[in-house]
Amino acid sequence: MLAVDILLAGLVLGGMYALTALGLTLQYGVARIMNLSYGEFLVAAALVAYSLYTGLAMSPLIGLIVVVPAAFVLNWAIYHVLLMPLVRRARTRDVLEVDSILATFGLLFIVQGIALVIFGGQYYSYTFLSIPVSVLGSTIAVNRLVALLFAAAIGLAIYVALMRTRSGTALRAVAVDPVAAGLVAIDVKRASGFAFALGGALVAAGGVLVSMFLTFNTAMGVVFTMKALIVVIMGGVGNMLGALIAGLLLGIGETAVARLVDPGLTLAATYALFLAVLLVRPTGLFGRSAR
Amino acid sequence: MLGAAVLVALVAAFPLVASGYHLALGISILHFAVLATAWALFSGPTRLISLATVAFFGIGAYTVAVLHETLPWLAVLAAAGAIGVAVALLVGISTLRLSGIYFVIFTFGLSELIRQLVTWYEVNVHRSVGRYIFASVSQREIYWQLLALAVAVFVVGWLVARSRLGLASRVIGDDETVARHAGIDATRTKLTLFAVSALFMSLTGAVMAPRWTYIDPNIVFNPLLSFEVVIMALFGGAGVLLGPLLGVVPFVLLFELLSANFPNYFSILLGVVFMVIVYALPRGVAGLLPRREAKRTAPEPAQPAAQAEANPGALLEATSLRKAFGGLVAVDDLSFAAKPGEILGLVGPNGSGKTTVLNLISGALAADRGTLTLDGQPIAGLGAHRIAKLGVARTFQLVRVLDSMSALENVRVGFAFRRDPLWGARAEAEALALLTRVGLAGKADLPATQLTYIDQKRLELARALASEPKLLLLDEWLAGLNPTELGEGIALVRSLRNSGITIVLVEHVMDAIRSLADRCVVMNAGRRIADGPPAAVFAEREVVRAYLGGADA
Repeated sequence: MLAVDILLAGLVLGGMYALTALGLTLQYGVARIMNLSYGEFLVAAALVAYSLYTGLAMSPLIGLIVVVPAAFVLNWAIYHVLLMPLVRRARTRDVLEVDSILATFGLLFIVQGIALVIFGGQYYSYTFLSIPVSVLGSTIAVNRLVALLFAAAIGLAIYVALMRTRSGTALRAVAVDPVAAGLVAIDVKRASGFAFALGGALVAAGGVLVSMFLTFNTAMGVVFTMKALIVVIMGGVGNMLGALIAGLLLGIGETAVARLVDPGLTLAATYALFLAVLLVRPTGLFGRSAR
Repeated sequence: MLGAAVLVALVAAFPLVASGYHLALGISILHFAVLATAWALFSGPTRLISLATVAFFGIGAYTVAVLHETLPWLAVLAAAGAIGVAVALLVGISTLRLSGIYFVIFTFGLSELIRQLVTWYEVNVHRSVGRYIFASVSQREIYWQLLALAVAVFVVGWLVARSRLGLASRVIGDDETVARHAGIDATRTKLTLFAVSALFMSLTGAVMAPRWTYIDPNIVFNPLLSFEVVIMALFGGAGVLLGPLLGVVPFVLLFELLSANFPNYFSILLGVVFMVIVYALPRGVAGLLPRREAKRTAPEPAQPAAQAEANPGALLEATSLRKAFGGLVAVDDLSFAAKPGEILGLVGPNGSGKTTVLNLISGALAADRGTLTLDGQPIAGLGAHRIAKLGVARTFQLVRVLDSMSALENVRVGFAFRRDPLWGARAEAEALALLTRVGLAGKADLPATQLTYIDQKRLELARALASEPKLLLLDEWLAGLNPTELGEGIALVRSLRNSGITIVLVEHVMDAIRSLADRCVVMNAGRRIADGPPAAVFAEREVVRAYLGGADA
């Protein structure tokens, strides 16, 4: 059952991509911070989950309860301490975008450097719920299914919150037009800080979930950043549904190439797919056109 | 000039006294100097941040690895440059329309894609990931070749900055829409600079390749290089030719220092230094230097030589134009004509499609159906820059001036890219005269952003006039003026008509329409509901109803 194999493995991988992309689209779409250190926080969360599991025998699913709020607070602090000066001085969104790329590039090295000092460069993995089960004739480990389930639940909760609550509406308003949002009494800075922190919490959740079934090391952050970026841009910046579909597409596409063509070409396939989408639709699959 | 020559000679003599560690450091500085300056050549003025540096660098290096045993060195260099330029053109044609963050990510993806493809090819076809380079090139020779490249890139940069190409790229960086409507072929401009910049990057890769005796894709396509180049160039200041160099020297030394003394904490310290720079030096080191003031003599009076065409037929003719945005039909089966030398008023309630009509004429939008002719020549579907070159100039409803330039430079843009371009001292004199004509005398050197709203509108008009239009499209140019300014504005527009320019005037200010327009086309919901002299059309029932609503107003 090759097709089911690919579909299932692709869905799990795609679900992770979609979840992390959701966080990035919050940070970029709402707070206008193009966070190049995004993937480092995923890796950091994975490393913390690993330490909690091996050191304290804490299940990564319980670990979520520790890691996610901590990541939220940490990212909130990063926004208010490190990024606020840039937000204040930026005259336009474009300036902030460039500044934030540069600043978070520095942050990338700092986070990676700290991880490197503590954990070194070797690969980490641990066995948790590594029980094979059969789904539709295909065999898959329980930890992958659990990760997918959690990702779906978290993603759905965020989606509903954004679409149905007042705070969610405020975030979406800021994403569309921060100036106009300010005029209808939305505290843009607070909303941006909240969105950035929420994005950080989501990527941490992604990191914990990924750590259950992937092997990772301190240098892998950039790969995750790029994947998340690709998904966000393919889906159209600020478009949650687009991110979900693009994430799943990417996961399934990568898995298919790895199984059917050559595992060495998965990344190339990712970029080729991404470049093709950008060429046909410069603002993403579901992005609105510029004018 | 002499100073530069002496400096080059001194730098060239460096390997005669230095060796080993210091020579390696010199090579490192030159290598980054070429890359960062080449990067800034394209990314500085256009403000498109490219992370493709390493793609071209790697292409150059790999060309050497593959060809160095079969071809003489100069031929290898030529091949490296040619392949780099070819890839840049190929990629540029399809991608340079991307803007902002999309371009950044695209270029990063491109580098990764090339790296993956080369790796895959090497593993599966060549059957070994890396290649050995046994070229007998000494460190000194590498140093001198890099120095030659550095001199070349500075000369090219210096020439570009003084050319229309350089001006065009700055206009694009400020506002690409304005650029196109001023007659700049934005795609070609960006493509040219992108290719030139890629040429230097590929050559640098080729020259550096013999330094490694062994290369593999992960070495020569290391994305860190792209980032380092961006950082150095931005730190130094990408808007000035020598800016990137100001970033290269301290950074190369810093990298050296950190990796030699704190190998374990290199990454953390690098990050910290980096962030400090972003906070402390937003415009780069070059941004700290004072701007040079322009010196100039008093303006000579000059008149823009726009003459009425003897053509008795219509200058502009629109037939059955239609444009829909999704389900909204903004312009529906619209036909009208503007005779040479007349002012045609285009009026109608908000949302009736007036600005869309202007966008169709100026080429900002393409019509779904219908024809547009200028002087009998079809213009529908031509790019905005080509329509501009044919003699159509416009202003924008929301005023668009080029922020990074002075008032004078804004007007010079109009002169520089019209059908018979005006450049140099004469353009400057004429630009000053035009500024005086629109009422901006004495404000030539002010940055465009510092002008008041009204003055920005004047500036926009002057820029449009500088392109010597046959047809001028004014989109609510008189809106928001106070009564005195309105009087002046009306007189100015009338004087333009008297000098022979045909004008299409989109306007809500009825006094202006009544006193200026020879004829009026009234639009409602995308259709023409009246056409004739202002007094007559405003008396028509349908027009009154469109404006005032009501059952039978």
